[in-house]
Amino acid sequence: MSENETYKLGIDVGGTFTDLFLWTSSGNVQSFKVLSTPKDPSIGVLDGLGAVAKALGLTQSQLCARLTSIVHGTTVTTNATLTRRGAKTGLLTTAGVRDALEMRRGIREDQYDNRQTNVVPLVPRYLRLPVRGRLDHQGRELEPLSQDDVRAAARVFAGESVAAVAICFMNAFANPAHEQAAAEVLRRELPAAFISVSSEVLPAIRFYNRVSTTALDAFVGPVLRDYLRALTSRLSEAGFKGALSIMQSSGGVALPDATAKKPAATLLSGPAAAPRAAAAWASPSGYPDCLVVDMGGTSFDASLVRSGAVELKSEGEIDRLRIALPMLDIVTIGAGGGSIGKVDAGGLLRMGPESAGALPGPACYGRGGELPTCTDANLVLGYLDPSYFAGGELRLDAKAAQRAIEQHVAAPLGLDAERAAVGMYRVINSNMAHGVREITVKRGLDPREFPMVVAGGAGSLHGCAIATELDIPVVLVPPVASVLCAAGMLLTDQQHDFVRSCISELARLDPERLRGLVGELTREGEAQLRRADVPLDRIEQKVALDLRYVKQYHEVTVPMTLDDVTQGDTRAVVAAFHREHDRLYGYELATEGTPIELINVRVRSIGRVEKPELPRLPAGSPDASRALKRHRRAYVPERDRFEEVPIYDGHALTAGNRIPGPALIERTDTTVFVSAAYDARIDDYGTAVVQRRAS
Amino acid sequence: MSTALVDKILVSILGRALRAITDEMSISMERSSRSPILCEARDFVTGLYDAEGNMLEQTENLPILSFSLSPVCKHIAQKFAGEVYPGDVFFHNDVFSFGNQNNDVAAFKPIFVGETLVGWAACKGHQADIGGAVRGGYNPAATEVWQEALRIPAVKVYERGKLRRDVWDLIFANIRLPIVQEDMRAEIGSCTVGERRLKALIEKYGLESFEAHKRALFESTRAMMAAEIEKIPDGVYHGEATSHFDGHHPGSKAVVRVTITVEGGKIRFDYSGTDPQTTGFVNGTFTSSASATILTFLQMVDPRIPHNQGMVEPIEIIIPEGTLLNAAYPAATTFGNHLCPNNADAIMRALSPVIPERVTAGWNQLLCSLSTGRDTRKGQDTKETYVDILFMGLKGGSGALPDCDGYDHIGMIDASGGVLDQDYEMFEQISPHRLISHEYACDSAGAGRHRGGLGVETRYLVGGADTQIVTFGDGDIEPGFGLAGGGNGTLNFIDLEYPDGTRYRATTKDHVKGVPAGTVYVQHAGGGGGHGPPKQRPAELVAFDVRNGVVSLAAAQQLYGVAVDPETFAVDAAETARLRQGA
Repeated sequence: MSENETYKLGIDVGGTFTDLFLWTSSGNVQSFKVLSTPKDPSIGVLDGLGAVAKALGLTQSQLCARLTSIVHGTTVTTNATLTRRGAKTGLLTTAGVRDALEMRRGIREDQYDNRQTNVVPLVPRYLRLPVRGRLDHQGRELEPLSQDDVRAAARVFAGESVAAVAICFMNAFANPAHEQAAAEVLRRELPAAFISVSSEVLPAIRFYNRVSTTALDAFVGPVLRDYLRALTSRLSEAGFKGALSIMQSSGGVALPDATAKKPAATLLSGPAAAPRAAAAWASPSGYPDCLVVDMGGTSFDASLVRSGAVELKSEGEIDRLRIALPMLDIVTIGAGGGSIGKVDAGGLLRMGPESAGALPGPACYGRGGELPTCTDANLVLGYLDPSYFAGGELRLDAKAAQRAIEQHVAAPLGLDAERAAVGMYRVINSNMAHGVREITVKRGLDPREFPMVVAGGAGSLHGCAIATELDIPVVLVPPVASVLCAAGMLLTDQQHDFVRSCISELARLDPERLRGLVGELTREGEAQLRRADVPLDRIEQKVALDLRYVKQYHEVTVPMTLDDVTQGDTRAVVAAFHREHDRLYGYELATEGTPIELINVRVRSIGRVEKPELPRLPAGSPDASRALKRHRRAYVPERDRFEEVPIYDGHALTAGNRIPGPALIERTDTTVFVSAAYDARIDDYGTAVVQRRAS
Repeated sequence: MSTALVDKILVSILGRALRAITDEMSISMERSSRSPILCEARDFVTGLYDAEGNMLEQTENLPILSFSLSPVCKHIAQKFAGEVYPGDVFFHNDVFSFGNQNNDVAAFKPIFVGETLVGWAACKGHQADIGGAVRGGYNPAATEVWQEALRIPAVKVYERGKLRRDVWDLIFANIRLPIVQEDMRAEIGSCTVGERRLKALIEKYGLESFEAHKRALFESTRAMMAAEIEKIPDGVYHGEATSHFDGHHPGSKAVVRVTITVEGGKIRFDYSGTDPQTTGFVNGTFTSSASATILTFLQMVDPRIPHNQGMVEPIEIIIPEGTLLNAAYPAATTFGNHLCPNNADAIMRALSPVIPERVTAGWNQLLCSLSTGRDTRKGQDTKETYVDILFMGLKGGSGALPDCDGYDHIGMIDASGGVLDQDYEMFEQISPHRLISHEYACDSAGAGRHRGGLGVETRYLVGGADTQIVTFGDGDIEPGFGLAGGGNGTLNFIDLEYPDGTRYRATTKDHVKGVPAGTVYVQHAGGGGGHGPPKQRPAELVAFDVRNGVVSLAAAQQLYGVAVDPETFAVDAAETARLRQGA
């Protein structure tokens, strides 16, 4: 280590573990895991810094002095929402519609389940206060805003010690004046409160989307603000003078002050960096596109990278609450190492979504868990070494795993434990395959066209099986698989997303209007990026239009080049719209001559940050025998039987090594199962490229 | 090795894959259709069927439409046997060949693998207009089907991928709104999405394997349903409920009578004894009534049972022709879907003494309205008309269970929370009306240890010109009933407050023409019935409802026996104990 070496650190705070990924200026990388401290996650971050310093033989202040940047992903806002531990929040809204937030347009997701209850609203009814004042559907004032009502509401909020207020008025997407006036009064009367204004958070039509998103923004606002304050002050006390950026749901990063202004944009910050990292490790193998699957203890996240970028969607749900902000299209299902297996009344085997979590945990953890989990099945199948789980930190109890499976799965199905474990393995793989289908087949994409990058501690045991189910020819397990998000954070660009309503028939749109709007949004994006010291030549602007056939209600988002915007040429965007409509909805109306309407203009301003070089492995030959540790009896799905399978030491492999399946590659943080129909090759960057053998 | 296990797992995979396809078909329809009835409220269903028309899986946003698709599919498969080709599309709405309601028009598309017919994709939605005497399709004055709608018996609109322009034009020449053509295109698109996906699925597993696993899926589903039925004690149970006002004779009633026989894993719903059909449009078709029976019973069994042929096999339904629930040709029947609340009440009354833990108190009965007119914001002389069903207005509360409050603002039991309010701002874009309020109605829920779901009050200011408002529903005489000592919900009403200061209370089957701009439309959708004695409800929950303004101070005191401080909303424990003495 040289005296003037500097470091970058990606930090991913999860519910159980805080993952850290260190990247040195001389190109070395190292990953760390410490326990999270949910009460104040910034403590866990500092613990992590301590662990990193110790490993480098530095004091914490020496480490901090050499840290040029920290990129940080957090689940604080996610967890505050899921546990309803956000700020005490008030809602100021147009008289007559204060219940829209709780009503959620009257949906009950499980139609036939009379015990399904509505979601507890983020703001109780007695804190949803009406104000008079009304705009029409085009934003023209029908009735002036009642300042008296706003002040009266402020008094109620003050009396209730409300810490955050969301403001959402009817038709404010078309005219923000009333909301701005009300915000001014509230900021004066409630100087300590966090104020979210719908026309700033989401200036787009659809009242329910706006009120729900704005309420979420207010609810998590103080939590995020306080957390970021604690974090920045702890970091600065520790001597950190570098740049801190925060991961956004949209897959970009932003500075803490910009983040604190739109807290709802961090609601899916947690898993958002994984796709970027996956893309980085997939591209050296010649794959610009890939599927990314991340299997943790309780959940399985799947997403899709195309042309090196991540698919975005403009709205989604968190805990059945609508959030209409750009977010990475990541599908989360309840499948993980802790997923519990059981047999239902019709005799069908199910896995999850219930999870044993970390406590009591799988039966084999010996921490009181008695129900059979996916990890128990993996142990019975021979995929895990009871004495080498988490690098030997946790000893697994194979007998306990077998007992649990026998009692709860094997006996009801009339099978032995091994056959039952095979069934559990197959069912959870098929569940995860369906998660992958959600982001591919459901959007009309063929999963067979993509290699699949596998991440998470448990993921690499299931990669080949999921791939087989979906006919995916290539599985990639990067060297950073177990801390993929933390690694991805160091590869993420600064990013700001803007959307503005611009309703017009596309053929009649004044090109000057579009140019003007795009110009305004790109200038705003540029200004924000310049404040984060992004040089001009690293700024990229992307434009997309939300289009629909006339009288439709929902739009299809189609990209448009800046050149086409400048020249007012809509031919390419029109052709792309017809194609996309047919792909999604089974038809298009190009020949009918149906007019196309523009609804929103979207701009994404990207500041390309300098990214570290991926570290390389020493070169070696195809012969991997040096890393062969021993053999173990394990299940081989292709031949539906148990065989003696070779075990390789993942840390002893070199670039170019080839390992024919079936084989297990053990690393301290994860085990890769190379199934019989696949061969693994270690690439220059340490990724296990697991490829289906040509038959 | 055990082949049984391998089979079962592939069966699970197949079941999930089928549901993923019907969900995708539903998203396709929701996002590409145009009438707010479809794209905002989701008044449609999507489904897949095997080559014979047996149900493979469905996405049932509005379940009352759902269980007629398989019978119609079988009908088409038989009627066109030997003449079904790849690229064909069929339309159907005819209530006398298994359709459920005239406005619910279905598109069917056969699915081929190679030359073999392997299945069908279907999408059926409530169309904004279907010809007949009244714009929008609800004609309370009708006494026979032709006064209600254009009949579309199964017809082929595409053959081998080619549009049959003559057939298409004949249909749409008889429908007022051009938007219906577009929405039928969206239905075909949804079927195409289903066709692409099911074809790929079958090609992946092979037809033979698919067929074998399909049969296993049906059988395992049938076994699940049978196991649920076996939990109900064997016996014969009776229930009845009354439909009020046939649209022609004020004060008229017609009674639904059901005899439910449970024998082991089978259940029979026999409606013999139900009153004769009415002279007006308050009549069910066999499939609308059978759908009502099935969707009500589905709420009393494990909600995770897959929806395929196996699910319906243990259920037998007998409805004599010529009765309220199965009117004989050529009766008017547009109201038939809305007899579901009565049908459901009769079933719930029959089974609540037997399986009390699975039967809710009464739901608010549907009362709905539809407005049509010209949107003069587009010019005083515009000919452009709109049709809007006020879904947000109809959403009353559901009934409570012994261990669970009712669901607030859920709406008719026929949809059970599957149809949605239109978004307020989209409502103001699409119709010339302006929303005044849409809020929970205080004291609307039936009181109880578990209270009913809250009803809502909706007001809007009528805009535009040539406005007509049609109402259809019930629930102005009988409320959502309470159970086990729980109270009833409130009654429905729709009032028009005219600009001249007069007020008109619409009947539940009304057709009000010439509603002037400036009229205030007021609708109350009642709450659901409560369960258990209100005085046993935890006082803090009552106080919280009072604080939230959904239970009044007076109701808290009189019905629940809870004294709440009007300033602090704290419970006055001593006074509450006194009020609850002896309860």
